[in-house]
Amino acid sequence: MANRRPAAKKQPAGKSAQPKQAAQSKQSMQPKPAAANPHLLGEILPEGAYEVEVLPKGLHRVPRGVDELATEHLIMNMGPQHPSTHGVLHLLLEIDGEEVITGEANIGYLHRGIEKLAEHRRYNQVGTLLDRSDYLSGLHSELAFSMAVEQLAEIEVPRKANWIRSLVSELNRIASHLVWMGTFGMDAGSMPGFLYALREREALLDILETITGARMMFNYVRPGGVLMDLPPEVEPMIRAFLADFPTKLEEYDTLIGKNEIMQARIKGVGVIHRSTALAFGLTGANLRATGFGWDVRKERPYAAYPELDFDIPVGETADCWARYLVRMEEMRVSTKLVGQLLDGMPEGDHSAKVAKVLRPPAGEAYAAVESPRGEMGIHLASDGSDKPYRMRVRGPAYYALSIIDEILPGNLIADAVMTAGSLDLVLGEIDR
Amino acid sequence: MNPVLVAVLRALAALGLMLANGVVLIYMLRKVLGHMHVRLGPNRVGPFGLLQTTMDVIKLLTKEDVMASSVDKWLFRLAPLMVFVPAFMAYLALALSPTWRFSNLDGGLLYLFAVLSLVPIGIVIAGWASNSKWSLIGGMRAAGQQIAYEVPLLLSVLGIVLMSGTLNMTDIVRSQQGLWLGFLPRWYIFPQFPAFLLFMVAGLAELNQTPFDMSEAESELISGFANEYSGMKFGFMFLAEFSNSFIIAALATTLFFGGWLIPGLERNALALQLGPIVFMIKTYIGIFVLMWIRGTLPRVRVDQLLALGWKRLIPMSLAWVMLTGVIIKLPSLFGGVG
Amino acid sequence: MQPDASALSAALRNAGIDAPVAEERLGLVARPAIADTPSALRALHAADYEMLVDLFGIDTGEDIEITYHVRSFTRDEDAYLKANLPYDAMLTSVWDVYPAALYPEREAAEMFGLRLVGHPNPKRLLTSDEFNVPVLRKSVPIRTDIELERPGISREHLKAAEEANDNG
Repeated sequence: MANRRPAAKKQPAGKSAQPKQAAQSKQSMQPKPAAANPHLLGEILPEGAYEVEVLPKGLHRVPRGVDELATEHLIMNMGPQHPSTHGVLHLLLEIDGEEVITGEANIGYLHRGIEKLAEHRRYNQVGTLLDRSDYLSGLHSELAFSMAVEQLAEIEVPRKANWIRSLVSELNRIASHLVWMGTFGMDAGSMPGFLYALREREALLDILETITGARMMFNYVRPGGVLMDLPPEVEPMIRAFLADFPTKLEEYDTLIGKNEIMQARIKGVGVIHRSTALAFGLTGANLRATGFGWDVRKERPYAAYPELDFDIPVGETADCWARYLVRMEEMRVSTKLVGQLLDGMPEGDHSAKVAKVLRPPAGEAYAAVESPRGEMGIHLASDGSDKPYRMRVRGPAYYALSIIDEILPGNLIADAVMTAGSLDLVLGEIDR
Repeated sequence: MNPVLVAVLRALAALGLMLANGVVLIYMLRKVLGHMHVRLGPNRVGPFGLLQTTMDVIKLLTKEDVMASSVDKWLFRLAPLMVFVPAFMAYLALALSPTWRFSNLDGGLLYLFAVLSLVPIGIVIAGWASNSKWSLIGGMRAAGQQIAYEVPLLLSVLGIVLMSGTLNMTDIVRSQQGLWLGFLPRWYIFPQFPAFLLFMVAGLAELNQTPFDMSEAESELISGFANEYSGMKFGFMFLAEFSNSFIIAALATTLFFGGWLIPGLERNALALQLGPIVFMIKTYIGIFVLMWIRGTLPRVRVDQLLALGWKRLIPMSLAWVMLTGVIIKLPSLFGGVG
Repeated sequence: MQPDASALSAALRNAGIDAPVAEERLGLVARPAIADTPSALRALHAADYEMLVDLFGIDTGEDIEITYHVRSFTRDEDAYLKANLPYDAMLTSVWDVYPAALYPEREAAEMFGLRLVGHPNPKRLLTSDEFNVPVLRKSVPIRTDIELERPGISREHLKAAEEANDNG
């Protein structure tokens, strides 16, 4: 392989307190001449200096990104505006005919500086930021953050608050998986699945709106508990949904999953072995599809999960088909959990008494929840003031995306689309 | 009348039918797909949205025809014509009834297939002239796919040609007159059912329709080969696509479902007068089935698509033609009527 | 999940790394010198810490503290390695031990103005080409001077408004 390290000019020391003109144009896609490659941050190293002798376990190649000096293969841009990629994801593909030789994800189109902004918000305002990071499962991010704050401030959450938290989390999980299912089918060309999935999601969003007041940007789970108690009119709505949804889910499974064309498209495609998954930090359904049954709800239980009875679906073949099956099964498990939570909802307070302006003592805490995409963790550092000192969002899709460069080569473009879809990426939490 | 004038009038009538079909079919597709997707489809422009396509056509006519500076100008302009004109020529071979037909070609069926095979050339030209990688990929996929499926399409109907003994579209329909056992119409769908299935699959692939629409895979290539086209150039290609689906459905009606014949009423003069209506009804039912399939199934991957065409459909259709030929000749081998 | 410092300490000691291991509020935290971090992580990987859960930096005001959060599934144990880097220093990549570090290292280098060494694809991750500001450093203000170039607004004005908000 040709030397892929064009000379980089030394970067000026980044100590500038004066931010430059924010001319935020994204780099153009024309290959740049080697000498003027300003986006390289690294040192100049002699050729071959970072060739590792032994590749880490589970890897087949050193992930170098797309070689802009290649001449024979076409370099295609898939995205960032694209009917298929989920969010503003820009995939640079080096293709030979129909086959992908190298793939690289070029992200940052949705970067809003959530981690920096969180350092300038009070603790009850950070929820608004986290809703917008992983916008399909905002309640999970809020819950992780609230748990981190409660660890630091040693707040005890009442039992009913925990049960409400689990209830809305599971409803949010079903909603997020429905979007995944619809877009996954649509990637393959089956459009009705998407519209039927959104129809079911409408029922869920109505329920969540009745509980939290908003359809998508909830800011409902706060440190100490939840914002409001469950209104009485929501229980018949949830019961109606539970009565209707399982049969509908079987219909959609038949439409999308049992279709032979679909199975030919996704069986054996995008195989991620367990060693690769563990090496890249994959969690959630992506990891469970490889046969490794780690679920934060079972291993590090939180909220009401220690008291609930449920099984974790684990896949076998570690390809797109296994991920599909695992997520469909997760929807069924969530439906049962919602029924259990509704049946056993205790009486009590919906929130502990916390100060209006929270000032947790100095320290660090890490709290993780099982979001629909995997382990969503919030690492919170506090300095005793009313604003977080540092909030780090550990997004599961962030790590799922980094595996793209490893598993895309050798597949066709169509398979690349299906693989990216099966990983359930949400650019909001990847870019933050 | 002056024969040249008659021919010109017939051609104009075919053009009229093609355009009218296009308008109706686009509206029908949007409504059918809409209702299958639990939504309404167009319902604002005119009662039930009936004027939607008219307005769309006016929009396309008045739209700015954008041509990027890096395209191959003459090929770019030529491509929509190369896609539209063969479809128009194919209309000229159709026969809606013994009196309502645009021509009476003795090799009508052959002419129709020959003309339809010119369409992939137009698509490749469109993909190439657009000077864009995505269009190129779309054009190449379309070329590979449509060329691969020409062969099974033709082979699957050879059995009917053997059974009817003619390539003339009117005569093929006429040979389907009569009833078997008093109630079953002599339509070729019954003895040639496997050929019908092959024809359906190959026809869907020829039309670039889901499940075989890799060349326009919306979730991958947006519009495939037609990415760079706008305005009426795009309108031509769009219209040609719908006209093709009418042609395939009309072919299926002619070859398999007895064209304009109503079983049991073949000699009835009134039934013959109503022939065109019967033909159109049968064709539109076929088109509805095509749209139904389109709205339900996912897309077959391009290599699986080509493997299906070359490795499965061609041997199957060859085998079927051989079988048909043998069965036809069997009675005469044993000295019976044949 | 009872945190047990023995496995972590043993692994580090065997690799010859002198790093204090403490049970803090966060969990099990080891603090090696930054130069020892790659070998420390290699030792941890060999000691059955299979997954790198997260990698990020914090600006402590004097230097940048990089945290490596690793997890051992066999022992059901989380551990944190924290190492301190001066500003504008070199961050050695550990992708050959934990490939999960590929993206977070690019992000940490970009956000804190570090130089990434030993990384196969050390491009920017989240911000655009011309944007050379190490955003997550405490010295970088949340509002740029350009944003504040409006009549009637100045940094002092903003600070006063914030303080009024906090007190009110």
